[in-house]
Amino acid sequence: MYGRRASQLLKEVDSCEAGQLVPFNSDVFDQVIRECNEHNTQFQSLIRKMVEQNLDIETTRNDDHYGAAVHHLSLLRNKRCLMAYMYNRAEVIQSFRWKIGPVLPHEIQEKLHFSEKEYFKNHSAAIKSYMSEMDIDLTVDMVPPKDPYIQVRVLEDIGEVSLGDHSISLTKNSLHFLRRTDTEQFISQFWISDMELVRKHNQADSKQEW
Amino acid sequence: MSSWEDDDSAAAAAAAAAASTDVELLKRAWRNEKASPEILRFDSPLVSRVREQIQLLEETLDDFGESGVDDLVVSLYQMDLDRTLFLLRSYLRLRLQKIEKYMMHISKSEDLLSRLSQQEQRFAKSCTEMMEKHLEQSVLSKLPYGYDSVTRQSLSSTEDDMGIPFDLIIIPEPQLDTFVFCKTKSDVGAFQLDDIGEEVVDLVADDLYVLRYKSIKGLVESGQIDLI
Repeated sequence: MYGRRASQLLKEVDSCEAGQLVPFNSDVFDQVIRECNEHNTQFQSLIRKMVEQNLDIETTRNDDHYGAAVHHLSLLRNKRCLMAYMYNRAEVIQSFRWKIGPVLPHEIQEKLHFSEKEYFKNHSAAIKSYMSEMDIDLTVDMVPPKDPYIQVRVLEDIGEVSLGDHSISLTKNSLHFLRRTDTEQFISQFWISDMELVRKHNQADSKQEW
Repeated sequence: MSSWEDDDSAAAAAAAAAASTDVELLKRAWRNEKASPEILRFDSPLVSRVREQIQLLEETLDDFGESGVDDLVVSLYQMDLDRTLFLLRSYLRLRLQKIEKYMMHISKSEDLLSRLSQQEQRFAKSCTEMMEKHLEQSVLSKLPYGYDSVTRQSLSSTEDDMGIPFDLIIIPEPQLDTFVFCKTKSDVGAFQLDDIGEEVVDLVADDLYVLRYKSIKGLVESGQIDLI
């Protein structure tokens, strides 16, 4: 059936949890592209056939005309599906810049098409140039501040870090009470975690178990 | 508590004055932006005033650090600063994310573009170019000739292809007829919700409504109503 493969791509996007990404399906994607070109060849040959029979392609309504129309519309449908697939993925990818940061972890990189990687890089650069024009960092302060200080646990050995007027050694699994603004860059990189969030998370988990 | 406050007009006036500090104004702009489906006008004077105040607060805090003011006072000031900074960042971020979402729609319209700040306009422009480039090299360049336009479905498609304006639906646009929660600031009086005048609602001050965004758009822009 024409157009089934293209809709498969969209179903994949749709069945995925919001904000998540499935690996780029290059097999099906390429198949749909091939299908498009096949439609076009068929379309062109039908038109040629009509021209050879000296029929006016604008007004004639014979079998070949409707055949050509079916190929034309199937191609359009495939194009819409492909564009929607890419566009929806690109939306998720650009949201990663806000949620994760300018460098994507390996497991996400693997899921991307090469053009998507490039898009992410360019898009991050656009945000960066906006932030430097405005002279403000928009990637911190993602949640409303409650307290100027928070308790954090260090997840990876970070080593000596200078925070404002003093420096501090962040070794793995140590607990610290720090200024919230100093910690955000580490939190977004998953190097340290906010203990309040961890506790909330654990509570939610234990409730679920009950 | 609210009953005597209502009676006391002086207290109400004081509350109104307090509600119009720049931070409060920014909070209102932020809330409106958050609730509105489309991008609203950027208030550059307000943002630059807030930024000046943030700078002043930062300087005050530095002075406190040197002169050894009580830690509690310092942390209260810090808290205030943090909140204002969050508000500003979140406001700018919200706008960027809206631009990301509707970049092609915004870039097409002079009216929408004029609502953005200079920097946002540049951002919108580069975003659109990048998205077009991305779609171009991943999909369009592989399609047959005649079908490779971003905004038009095919070379032969006109305004109306098979009864559907194909070239219009491919660009995501904000849903303007979605419902929004809003609160009136002053009496508006009888307000017409549709074009033909069949639906009229009496908007009284300080009341909550759930209305279509499209119909109260003008009131949001003129500041007579707040989105919440």
